[in-house]
Amino acid sequence: MDPLKITATANTPEVNFDFPANIFSLKGESHPEDVTEFYQPIMRALEAYLGDLGDGACTFDFEFIYFNSSSAKVVMTLMEMLDEAAAEEASILVRWIYDPEDDNMLELGEEFGEDLEHAKFELLAQEET
Amino acid sequence: MLASDLFELRKTLVRSGVMFAYSGYMTEQVRLAVGETLRQKLSMEDANTKTIRSVFAVFVEQMQNVIRYSAEKVPEEQIEDTSELSFGVLTIGKEGGDYVLLSGNLIRREDVERVSAKLNEIQGMDHDQLKRHYKLKLKEGPDEFSRGAGIGFIEIARRASRPIEFDFTDVDERHSFFALKANI
Repeated sequence: MDPLKITATANTPEVNFDFPANIFSLKGESHPEDVTEFYQPIMRALEAYLGDLGDGACTFDFEFIYFNSSSAKVVMTLMEMLDEAAAEEASILVRWIYDPEDDNMLELGEEFGEDLEHAKFELLAQEET
Repeated sequence: MLASDLFELRKTLVRSGVMFAYSGYMTEQVRLAVGETLRQKLSMEDANTKTIRSVFAVFVEQMQNVIRYSAEKVPEEQIEDTSELSFGVLTIGKEGGDYVLLSGNLIRREDVERVSAKLNEIQGMDHDQLKRHYKLKLKEGPDEFSRGAGIGFIEIARRASRPIEFDFTDVDERHSFFALKANI
């Protein structure tokens, strides 16, 4: 699969799904007008990739500075998809990268991360730039 | 008269600490533009990162709530059409050291009880209960892409520094006006 790259906008995150490298990331803000329209193609692509992953390994980075309540549902669904693949044979690392100046994102990371039973989960403070 | 009347309106708003006031049709374009300006204004006031993001988050949920659920729309009775326009009111201001966001819109009178019950439940919750409620509602959502799944109110309550306030007043046989207030 060719990499899927979408540039960030004021209300949608940067998407970088590098299938050949097995590295995925969502970075920035997420409060799209229509959550389905934005995320459905992304989720379909991830689903197809995970279906073929077998005992392979991948890393998924969530690096949000803000997401709205409709996007929260998507974040949870993505985590569930990753955990399901990890429950089979895949080795999956989920990293939640948060801004240390905003403990809301740390708290949300803890909440979403605690549901992962099979995927490995890491909480990382964003590097100061 | 023209200038003095409008200036009176402005004075009334400024006197109650209002920095932004919008009454009219709300769209995603309005939300994005006002949202950016709001963030600019808050950074100029040296509000900290967490406060700016929380005010912005509450603003987004309140605006989207009006856009999605206001019972005052043009054209009327056109559901699931993105070209519809929703009418609502939103103000953002300061009250003491708090930022205060107030939003209002018409809802159908038969919905008052349901909305009120939902908000009453949230209002009585502490931070940890809100966290658990948020996740529970995310999980039990009707499908992965519901329009809001009722999570918006919980998000507002989580970001607020004290319990949210709400009120309803009947305006005609079919409608009630719904007001929601959050302090950050």
